[in-house]
Amino acid sequence: MSEQINPFVQEDGKKPSCMQMLQIILDEQSTEAQQEYFKAHMDRCMPCFKTYNLDATIKELLKSRCCGGEAPQDLIEGIKQRIDQQRPQ
Amino acid sequence: MEETPRQTYTEQQKNEVFNNEFLPLVHAMYNFAYRLTLDRDDAKDLVQDTYMKAFRFIESFQTGTNAKAWLFRILKNSFINDYRKKSKEPNKVDYQEVETYYNSEDVNRQITADLRVESLKDMIGDEISNALNSLEVDFRTVIILCDLEGFKYEEMAKILDIPIGTVRSRLHRARQLLKEKLSEYAREMGYKNT
Ligand SMILES: [Zn+2]
Repeated sequence: MSEQINPFVQEDGKKPSCMQMLQIILDEQSTEAQQEYFKAHMDRCMPCFKTYNLDATIKELLKSRCCGGEAPQDLIEGIKQRIDQQRPQ
Repeated sequence: MEETPRQTYTEQQKNEVFNNEFLPLVHAMYNFAYRLTLDRDDAKDLVQDTYMKAFRFIESFQTGTNAKAWLFRILKNSFINDYRKKSKEPNKVDYQEVETYYNSEDVNRQITADLRVESLKDMIGDEISNALNSLEVDFRTVIILCDLEGFKYEEMAKILDIPIGTVRSRLHRARQLLKEKLSEYAREMGYKNT
């Protein structure tokens, strides 16, 4: 396989680890070139492939299970009331 | 508060900013506060305090900038100043170690075989939420900001007043701990993880 330019390499020339690449991809802070590179990388790196699937599943579950609730109505009313009191008459 | 050029808002503009930009975020704010305090009443107080401060400091908020990041930062600071001090819990985490490990070669030796996607999919109760709540608050916080609320590393660094490198290493460690907790649950559910 020909040596591709690694788009994850930092300005200081430091090559990132598998884990660091994975983190950038997982958290959607990657460029298109990085995504392409990582896709190809996963084809030949089993740990990355497995970890990526696991981490992405956990991330999805966190989002669907741990947020989306509503704030209590009395809290919202309380805030509005308190703000009204602060306003100049 | 961060030093930003003060805005001059008329009373009406203040109301508009508050009602249109701040108030709609109350649900995300409440969720954040609850995940930090793990108590519904404390969460309500914390959110209320945060909104009062936001209203008082409204002139340091620039319209068009990220209201959510701004409010989350105020909430996080209120939590540290008003709630954490009360608990007087000693900090058990060695962050230097977290960072050193992150930048070392060892970091690639991950616990990957230990937890499987299939066992996660069977966790249909409160396992995920409980696992998150079990983490030490600083680790919990980075996961909330990143995975639940979708903040970028740079925004997280500003909200938490820490360098981006620290955001990354803390996030990595937090996820490791979360996975360890989830594998515990998976074992209890009768999965053989390997
Ligand atoms: Zn890899």
